[in-house]
Amino acid sequence: MSVHSAHTAPHPRLSVLSTASLSASSDHLPSISNVSSRYSLPPGAPVPLSVSSSPKPHARPSVYDRNLNKTRTAEVSLSAYAFLFSEMVQYTLKRVNGIADLERRLNVLGYRIGLRVLELMSWRAESSTKAPKREIRFLPALMSIHTQFWRAVFGKPADGIEKSVENEDEYMIIDNDPSITRHISIPRDMSQLSCSAITAGMVEAVLDGLGFPARVTAHSVPTADFPLRTTILIKLDKSVLEREEALK
Amino acid sequence: MTATHHLFIVSPTDTPLYSLSHQSSKPTQGTVYPLSANLPTWSTSAFAGTLTALSGASSVSQTTGAGNIRVGGGQDRHVIQMIAHASLDVIEDVVRTNNGMYLKGVDKFNEWTVSAFVTPGNIKFILLHDGRNDEGIRAFFSDVWELYVKTTLNPFHMVNTAIKSGIFDVRVKASAKKNL
Repeated sequence: MSVHSAHTAPHPRLSVLSTASLSASSDHLPSISNVSSRYSLPPGAPVPLSVSSSPKPHARPSVYDRNLNKTRTAEVSLSAYAFLFSEMVQYTLKRVNGIADLERRLNVLGYRIGLRVLELMSWRAESSTKAPKREIRFLPALMSIHTQFWRAVFGKPADGIEKSVENEDEYMIIDNDPSITRHISIPRDMSQLSCSAITAGMVEAVLDGLGFPARVTAHSVPTADFPLRTTILIKLDKSVLEREEALK
Repeated sequence: MTATHHLFIVSPTDTPLYSLSHQSSKPTQGTVYPLSANLPTWSTSAFAGTLTALSGASSVSQTTGAGNIRVGGGQDRHVIQMIAHASLDVIEDVVRTNNGMYLKGVDKFNEWTVSAFVTPGNIKFILLHDGRNDEGIRAFFSDVWELYVKTTLNPFHMVNTAIKSGIFDVRVKASAKKNL
């Protein structure tokens, strides 16, 4: 949702960003406290806004001042991750009609994450070497998604890679217990849904970035031992197979 | 004679994201390309002032301000842009078989050598240069890559939108000054 649309039609759940932007015109302020459903702030109480204080551009470091390798102290708890994802699902759920639409939207959100993770992950791995490399063959790329990418996003490698027996353009990455859906129970009437659609989006972005266009979807395939077992199904574009054939 | 560099950053859908012209203060390391040596001297020296003015130009409008002066010899801004974008075809062929990110001297056009750097996300940095400075270019690309990764991590940046950050611009210029 853009900031602009928040101006014209104030949603009951205004994000912090949009309230800050509304504060620019002070006559909007009373209406915020009326419609706000954020229980942490008592209605009518002045909202502490960083915008109202004088702007200090030098006080805020830009993204360019950050060290990209600082990971040890920058780890985020699983709760924060789970709550954020929960909000993302709720936010998306309000704006869709049907499960397929919801999965598509989660996929799009994941795609944006995947593009960034791919760049950052490769930078961390390759920038210190003299001649940084990209993956140009499909199978090594798939292996690096299974290991490096999963480790970068979920802190552990995925549990398996399988190649479809029936279709030679289909591959699967299997995660027995995906950490982002660990705290999600799918309601009975949505049994088709897999919230790992966001992971599928990330995988699609990585494959796209490396030059292997594919359609990636997530499916839950519970087993007795792993009730949350999820398969990320990769259906490769025809051009990828042709290119692999040419490189042999 | 000083070396001139033109950097273009192009998105996977071939949208131009950023461009920079840089006039090196360091002397070039002596490689003289036959064609540039045969060109009349005015093509490189007499219009050096114009080129310096262009090197500071970050927007297209400033280019058109000086566009009435025909520079010739492939030094014209539009010609340079065309050379850079024409090399995309060559780069796209090369990235399929070459797994390096830094593609040294991937294309040539008259006195210009085109070097490129392709990130894993298929963002292409294209550099036109008329001198030889492999190590400097490698270091420059490496700096630009780091700055680019930082740019993408900003949620307000979209993959296919131009990079307008002033800090990005300043840092790329600083790196160009140091390495090129």
